[in-house]
Amino acid sequence: MTLAQERPPGRVAVSRGRLPAALVLLGAMLSFSGLSWDVQWHIDVGPDTFFTLPHLVLYAGSALAGLASLAVVLATTAARRADRPVDEAVGGRAVPVFGRLFSAPVGYLVSGTGAASFLLYGLVDLWWHELYGFDAVIASPPHIGLILSVALTMVGALMVFAAASAHRWGRSGVLGAFTVLLGFTMVATNNLAEFAVGPIDPAVLGTTFLVVAVAFTAVGFLDNLRLALLFAVVFAATQAVLWWFSPWAAHAYAAQVGLPLRDYIDGPPYLPANMPMILIAVVALVHVATGRARRAGNRPRWVAAVVGGSAGALTAVAAMVQVPLVYGNPIPPIGTFVAPAVLGLVAGTAAGLVGPRFGRMLRALAPAAPSGAGR
Amino acid sequence: MRPSAQNRGTMSFTRGFRTVAAILAALGLIVAGPSPALAYPPVDVVHTERVQAGPYRLTVGFSTWPLRALQSLDFTFTPEGGIADKRGVLLLRAPGDGDLERIGRVATEARLARHPRKLGVWGLDTFALPYEGAWTLHFSVEGPAGLGEGELRNLAVLAQPGPPLGLSWALGTVPLWALTALLVVAWRRTGPARPAGVAGSP
Repeated sequence: MTLAQERPPGRVAVSRGRLPAALVLLGAMLSFSGLSWDVQWHIDVGPDTFFTLPHLVLYAGSALAGLASLAVVLATTAARRADRPVDEAVGGRAVPVFGRLFSAPVGYLVSGTGAASFLLYGLVDLWWHELYGFDAVIASPPHIGLILSVALTMVGALMVFAAASAHRWGRSGVLGAFTVLLGFTMVATNNLAEFAVGPIDPAVLGTTFLVVAVAFTAVGFLDNLRLALLFAVVFAATQAVLWWFSPWAAHAYAAQVGLPLRDYIDGPPYLPANMPMILIAVVALVHVATGRARRAGNRPRWVAAVVGGSAGALTAVAAMVQVPLVYGNPIPPIGTFVAPAVLGLVAGTAAGLVGPRFGRMLRALAPAAPSGAGR
Repeated sequence: MRPSAQNRGTMSFTRGFRTVAAILAALGLIVAGPSPALAYPPVDVVHTERVQAGPYRLTVGFSTWPLRALQSLDFTFTPEGGIADKRGVLLLRAPGDGDLERIGRVATEARLARHPRKLGVWGLDTFALPYEGAWTLHFSVEGPAGLGEGELRNLAVLAQPGPPLGLSWALGTVPLWALTALLVVAWRRTGPARPAGVAGSP
């Protein structure tokens, strides 16, 4: 009997899956904190180059996630070629890539594709800056490409931990992956405001859809009020950490390179100030309302649509209150709440229709009878 | 001679330290190297325009000339006698907009701040005007001689450089379409039935 055969199979699954999953999540967290730092740098200090320290943190995040994903894909490919069993708890079911050249667990395929795409958009961004100058805006095509690439890596991270949801570390990682995915992607949707047409603000539509869809996905996947609320608490704790970190890092870096702060900088840090503080109420509403309706035997799609619409209106109105509150501005008159509430209702209804299925899609990633469950 | 356990630990630490030092040195070279993408560029004014804002004479400087839509540059605003005893407000009027009271969708008003890389003057750093056409810069300057207002009219902004914006946006959003395709495939493969959840302690 070999040493490998003597090991409990669960141990092997845990030790093989936990490290690369942790590295992908660490990369995603680096990207998230790097983005918050970078945004604050531009607001409080200003000058941009391709290799500022916050940019390097952003690049390092994608590089770490990409290399960890590549390592798992190569290890899975080698295992498949040697006819060794492949544990689906490590990143989900392996799918053939480039014919049958590679076998890639689907979670790591998505996270790795996001990292590779980030590299390509980084090159496009360098060219773009040569052509247009160092415009410090989020809403430029290569910047949106970069943000969407990182979002893809974060979706991959979520899939990786969802595939390992039979393990304690898998469930913990899911909470972190939901947090970075929602917080990071909101930066892109918040910047849709410049495409507004009259009262129809795509930023409200996009951000509300994102918040409610993630709430439904998390509630549907976790199927446990305590865990769902814990996700909202992790999200709030991350918001608190970034609230402190982003201005501190921007100002410390400015002092290090000898640049002054801009005149008239005030107000809270941009990225955490725009993260929804209402999330915990939205998650609780979605969990309690859908659970009660399910027990009462109501039609789940209709219930999800109604709950989603309510959660969407709540999210949009709460954002209208949160932003002036944290910036110390007066709350706008009640009449200005109507359009965002209607947009929130529409976006939330759509999110309620798709979110529960997203939760089931995540659950389907976990193998039916995983080994080493609970570790 | 084989190293003792302690020596092996020391050598391993030394090797690890050297590796980390080499990585940091490489990063340092990237950060400190003379790459054009790295250095904070000085504010080079290549073109100026004059504006009379009441009793104040303003010089408006541009780091790139002519201006093109979406192309960012440094703007400097220098009142005669310096900025120390003055307060300025800038209002931009986009092409096609009406009078100043009817501010268009890209019009913005801001109290003028010092340029972060040229602290002796007011300025906008790496700022781009989004549309081509004739822009207006409206200045209000308050100082020892009271309040003065003036405009730089018909500031010509040429067409944007590079590929059409629609094409750029189509390319920039490819990961979104890839994610949508992934969701569609996963949706089709996931039935509406409700399997057991993953409830448990994290």
